[in-house]
Amino acid sequence: MNKICVIRRFIPLTTKAMKCYPTTVQTQKIHRWVAPTLMELKVREKKLGGKKYSPRNTYLEWNLEAELYAFGKRLNEDFDSDLLLQAFTDRSYVIKEEQKQKDLGIDIKMKDNRELASNGEEFIKNYVQVYLETILPRFPLEGVSGVREHLISEESLAHVSLHLGTKDIILAAEYPVDRFILANAFKAIVGALLQSSGDERAAHFVRDFVIAQLQGKDVNEFWTIDDPYEMLTNILKKEGATLEPRLIGEAGKNTILACYRVGLYVEKKMISSGYGESIKIAKEMGAREALKKIFGTEDHMKPNFQLEGIPKPNTNIRYQIAAS
Amino acid sequence: MSACKRVQQWATFARTWHIFDCKWQDPYQSAGVIKKYLMGMHKPIYHPLNDCGDVVVCINSREIALRGEDWRRRAYFHHTGYPGGASWTLAWELHNKDPTMIIRKAVYRAMQGNLQRRHTMERLFIYPGEDIPEDVLQNVTNQIRQLRLVPTRLDHIPEEEVKNYPKVMDYPEDYILK
Repeated sequence: MNKICVIRRFIPLTTKAMKCYPTTVQTQKIHRWVAPTLMELKVREKKLGGKKYSPRNTYLEWNLEAELYAFGKRLNEDFDSDLLLQAFTDRSYVIKEEQKQKDLGIDIKMKDNRELASNGEEFIKNYVQVYLETILPRFPLEGVSGVREHLISEESLAHVSLHLGTKDIILAAEYPVDRFILANAFKAIVGALLQSSGDERAAHFVRDFVIAQLQGKDVNEFWTIDDPYEMLTNILKKEGATLEPRLIGEAGKNTILACYRVGLYVEKKMISSGYGESIKIAKEMGAREALKKIFGTEDHMKPNFQLEGIPKPNTNIRYQIAAS
Repeated sequence: MSACKRVQQWATFARTWHIFDCKWQDPYQSAGVIKKYLMGMHKPIYHPLNDCGDVVVCINSREIALRGEDWRRRAYFHHTGYPGGASWTLAWELHNKDPTMIIRKAVYRAMQGNLQRRHTMERLFIYPGEDIPEDVLQNVTNQIRQLRLVPTRLDHIPEEEVKNYPKVMDYPEDYILK
């Protein structure tokens, strides 16, 4: 019995030892000819004048009409098809086409998107301003206009436009199109939507694609305050309160990694606190923190990207920082 | 990075200075606590790859207490690297030579042997007595709680106080104290 047990115990061990395990890890084999061939191809390509990117719309099966229709459907908007085509027609394309037609001796009128773009820009500007004033009711006008300038900047709009997929649909003289043309096309699309679906649809379009760019961003960063402590004292002075900074914490005072915490007190109650590598900086950061609280733009603020319709402008109750 | 985010980072990674009184403390048990602060393991942001350790200042290292027979029995090994260069020093001998050595070695042993250990040890300051440099003391903003209560010795209580302490009974006049 004992003998059998011993034998049984050893059986799996021996079979395991018999198994053949590969000692090397399998790797992808890249042949020795691949690298020199790719290099040679690169050299030949360079000799012919670099890599050529052919626009998608020069392909044989490109169907502009279908693309325009799909563009509207993707965004869940009903565009007027003529207006949408006009919105995608850049001025440079029209000039180029007219030149071509002149050479051939024919004359077909084309409309470019300048007018739509200017309409759209005006609308975006006004709507963003009103929207920001509504969702940030206590934020000063300077701050609001800083945020607005960021949102309607060419860079921001071009980013939105590019990722809506306008790059290949835009009719322009050059390819790839530059940022100005992308931003301009986006404004024109808003202009086209304004004419085809009305104010509210266009407003919601701008809200969903332009204002939503604020997601995850700090609105305070778009407005630089030169002296936040002075601004805070001025605001408090108007309300008849005096500000008292107190050092409430420090770590490693005699080291280069010193950290101070300054609390700002009004009537023996702490309104905010700030950190910094020196007391001066900590005081300034404390003031910034307090201003954020006053303006309602704290870090934990929830952005509101869901206002329905076009809000009504109301600028009477704001802090007039410039006047103080 | 905005100014607010920068100071937030600065405050998060600020080094706090802690003080630890070694008087009547077991160095091997204290080492675990000191290590925790040195490596920053008491912080929610702790990660082995982030440099968030604090500074610990140990005072009164001359007054440490070893367990049982440890002063006589525990030996510290050293080898010079030459043949016959091994030496075993008893704890009491080592403590007489350098009163900071036992606690230093205890903390060093409490940490894992990796490349970070020697840099972490640089943040540990040990002083044999209570007198520590003024600039070091100014940095200190926190005290680590001692593991054991330091009892008051009868011969350290003023004689006046001992005499006036209420007693349950008095020895008789002719009672001879051994």
